[in-house]
Amino acid sequence: MEGVGAGAGFRKELVSRLLHLHFKDDKTKVSGDALQLMAELLKIFVVEAAVRGVRQARAEDTLRVDVDQLEKVLPQLLLDF
Amino acid sequence: MEEEAETEEQQRFSYQQRLKAAIHYTVGCLCEEVALDKEMQFSKQTIAAISELTFRQCENFAKDLEMFARHAKRTTINTEDVKLLARRSNSLLKYITDKSEEIAQINLERKAQKKKKSEDGGKNSREPAEAGVVESEN
Repeated sequence: MEGVGAGAGFRKELVSRLLHLHFKDDKTKVSGDALQLMAELLKIFVVEAAVRGVRQARAEDTLRVDVDQLEKVLPQLLLDF
Repeated sequence: MEEEAETEEQQRFSYQQRLKAAIHYTVGCLCEEVALDKEMQFSKQTIAAISELTFRQCENFAKDLEMFARHAKRTTINTEDVKLLARRSNSLLKYITDKSEEIAQINLERKAQKKKKSEDGGKNSREPAEAGVVESEN
């Protein structure tokens, strides 16, 4: 992920809230390190979706990444995650 | 009673909307970086779609993480659980494992720095708070 190094990313608090929204047990907690790692995972998820979309757009010779291109890369993306 | 239930429903809904908006912002920033790097634009619908996708994927991640921790008889989700999430793709697993070590290393160094500071400080014997405290060291 060359150009996307120390740039944007998911804030720990956002990640925490997103996870806690779906926990079934109130007692479930997340360690700080795990939150940081989850933030990385989510970042990769988004960047992969974007980069694969670009690849598809280039293969189709279109000028920009539209939902059509995204739809085509979605199955493999979800299988990889 | 019916009114109360509805407000709770509405509250949950508007809370979700706020979270989605926050995701949308971050996704927008990340896509912008990719767009600059690859010299290719993203349509607004694409960014919205990726945001929605990320929100939904979080639900799967959260439930899996909770299950993994419970399976290990823990209530606190740790990095091992997160690594399990990344098991489906070898390159992803490797990346996450490397990141995990990087994070552990950085936090270890931070703790060592803090310890050194409080030792040098002498009088101040207050225990530093755990993660979540924003450090403003320059």
